[in-house]
Amino acid sequence: MKFKIRTAKQEDCKEISRMIMDLAVYEKMPEQVKISHRELERDGFCHNPFFECLVAEVPEEHKSSQGHTTVGYALYFYTYSTWKGPSVFIEDLYVMPEYRGKGIGSSLMAKVAQVGKEKQCVRLQLSVLDWNTPSLDFYVRKGAQDLTASEGWHALRFDGEALDKLAAEAPKD
Amino acid sequence: MDFTIRAANLEDCKDIARMTLELAEYEKVSEHVKVTQKDLEQDGFCKNPFFHGIVAEVPDQHRTKDGHVKIGFALYFYSYSSWKGRSVYMEDLYVMAEFRGKGIGKALMSKVAQLGMAAGCNQLNFTVLDWNKASMDFYMSQGCFDVTANFGYHYMKCEGEALERLAQP
Repeated sequence: MKFKIRTAKQEDCKEISRMIMDLAVYEKMPEQVKISHRELERDGFCHNPFFECLVAEVPEEHKSSQGHTTVGYALYFYTYSTWKGPSVFIEDLYVMPEYRGKGIGSSLMAKVAQVGKEKQCVRLQLSVLDWNTPSLDFYVRKGAQDLTASEGWHALRFDGEALDKLAAEAPKD
Repeated sequence: MDFTIRAANLEDCKDIARMTLELAEYEKVSEHVKVTQKDLEQDGFCKNPFFHGIVAEVPDQHRTKDGHVKIGFALYFYSYSSWKGRSVYMEDLYVMAEFRGKGIGKALMSKVAQLGMAAGCNQLNFTVLDWNKASMDFYMSQGCFDVTANFGYHYMKCEGEALERLAQP
């Protein structure tokens, strides 16, 4: 099936938001999604964007049963490792179920890697749920190493009240 | 003990590089460190910096036996959650051994949280090694939660030859 990978435009944010929710449903945590297309429009297309995004499009004749031609996306941003240097982090990689197995996910991931390389990134990182075997297998086939399993890295987070409390205790300037 | 927390500047990169190596030694991975003082200067102080830094300093009378007054740092950058929006990621948090237990690590982390919230972030994320009990206990005591233990998220990386292969058109 023919498809195209291109840089997302601000107008794509509604479609990206739709697919973010699909991905959250797949990950069994739809109640965790708090932002809409409006935050994506603001944060991805401002002067110093918080993220970049690629979308996968199919021709009109292959549109989904609901009429969508935007069938996948990769949302990523740049990070820094004080050991290795600039890196790129894939926050989301998603292809609608009926379009999987056609190389779209691989193409999205490869494009992010290419974009990262152009910006001198030496590493590509992402996170995946431990029960998500199809995705884990896909990433491992692509050459990814599981740092949690091999080195014991855990992701920790402050949010909500805990974050408010922590910030309130910062020394005054 | 008196200390100040302030934004890092270009001249601090020498001390940040020194402390990065100390942190890597603590994490038993010093042979993995490829970034130099020059890289930090280029990557942190260019037009679109890859990271921001804050430094903890003590007055001269408390300098280390090697003469250092810059005795801790935190390095962070902005990231994004497609579920929650703007986030801040703390890449490194380090205080030299003889200055621990004095609230400096807590002050650095609070400052990152404050700066992040001022930029509209509603999450502060970071990673810690599971055997690093001292750090794990410290972070937990401050109210964070373990995303890996609770939700099962694993961190993956692609680098070197695997990344080259991936980036093939």
